[in-house]
Amino acid sequence: MNCRKAEKLLLRSIDGRLDGSDAALLAKHLEACPDCRKAEAQYRSMFSLLKAGREAAPLPRFWERLEPRLREETELVPLLFWERWSLRAIPVFLALVVLIGGFHFFAPQARETSQSATLLIENRDLFSETQALFEADKPETRTMMLLFASMDEKSPARRPTP
Amino acid sequence: MEEKQLVRLAQEGSPAAFEELVTKYQPKVFSMALSFTRNREAADDLAQEVFLKAYLALPRFHGRSEFGTWLYRISVNHIKDYLRKKGRAKEVSLDDVPEISFSDRERTEKAQLESETEARRTLVQRFVQGLPEKYRVIVTLRDIQGLAYEDISRILRLSPGTVDSRLHRARRMLRTKLAPYLTAEGGANELSQG
Repeated sequence: MNCRKAEKLLLRSIDGRLDGSDAALLAKHLEACPDCRKAEAQYRSMFSLLKAGREAAPLPRFWERLEPRLREETELVPLLFWERWSLRAIPVFLALVVLIGGFHFFAPQARETSQSATLLIENRDLFSETQALFEADKPETRTMMLLFASMDEKSPARRPTP
Repeated sequence: MEEKQLVRLAQEGSPAAFEELVTKYQPKVFSMALSFTRNREAADDLAQEVFLKAYLALPRFHGRSEFGTWLYRISVNHIKDYLRKKGRAKEVSLDDVPEISFSDRERTEKAQLESETEARRTLVQRFVQGLPEKYRVIVTLRDIQGLAYEDISRILRLSPGTVDSRLHRARRMLRTKLAPYLTAEGGANELSQG
């Protein structure tokens, strides 16, 4: 095994990720190679210094400072709900649109029937409705209509000139 | 209460559940931010912003990954954005990193030891800062924060093989630069560079 390969195995070994056969090979190499033994010592020293950087106490009252920011930034509890449920509602809404659209597309369209056709189907006289309306007029209305008609006849403006 | 249950309650708008999640993850998020920024106030601000982002994004968390992994992903992306905006993500040569002197012989032995340990930590952190971004992120997650390979792979969306090779390269670079300050016995050299 060369030193390059040994270094790879060495780092795996320090990480605790080296299996038995490779560990034996590495141990054999380290026994014979002072450079790799030195490298191992240096790596261990380096890792202990790196790990020391992890120990850092956070600043106090973190949550007390965070909570108002959460509230201020969001006013959001209802908004969160809306966002959550709206995301779930999208597929349901789309499915409904497809369903309704499909129904309208494939369902046989109802035929429109005209008013006269309806009357014929119902076997009724076409003029009976108009007649009924005319007959429903009050006698006063009919008198007034006749009066206006006679005035029109007497009006010179409407009389044709000889 | 189980984490999944806490997440569900937080999604439904329970501040108490979210507070529990914050209490659990705040030290880790803060520590990660501190590893990148080396400034406690900035790290604290970043941690607050990360949790704010996470709260707003909670409805979009579907539990496909662990909550912690998801939160770390938000943290890493947010911290990287911050550093880019600050112009500090710029890759600097490791040669530009200033060296630290340990020559203060007038102090008591104990004080000197503490001071040296602290100075070594600072030195190592500075060297980490000097790494190109992709190496710095991976070293921070693995060797400072101690995250598992699988988690790093999920957080950075990299294959395990890429994580492995990138980490290997980063460590080699770091050791090469730190070699003069590291003892062959596995401890740190008493450095007297100045």
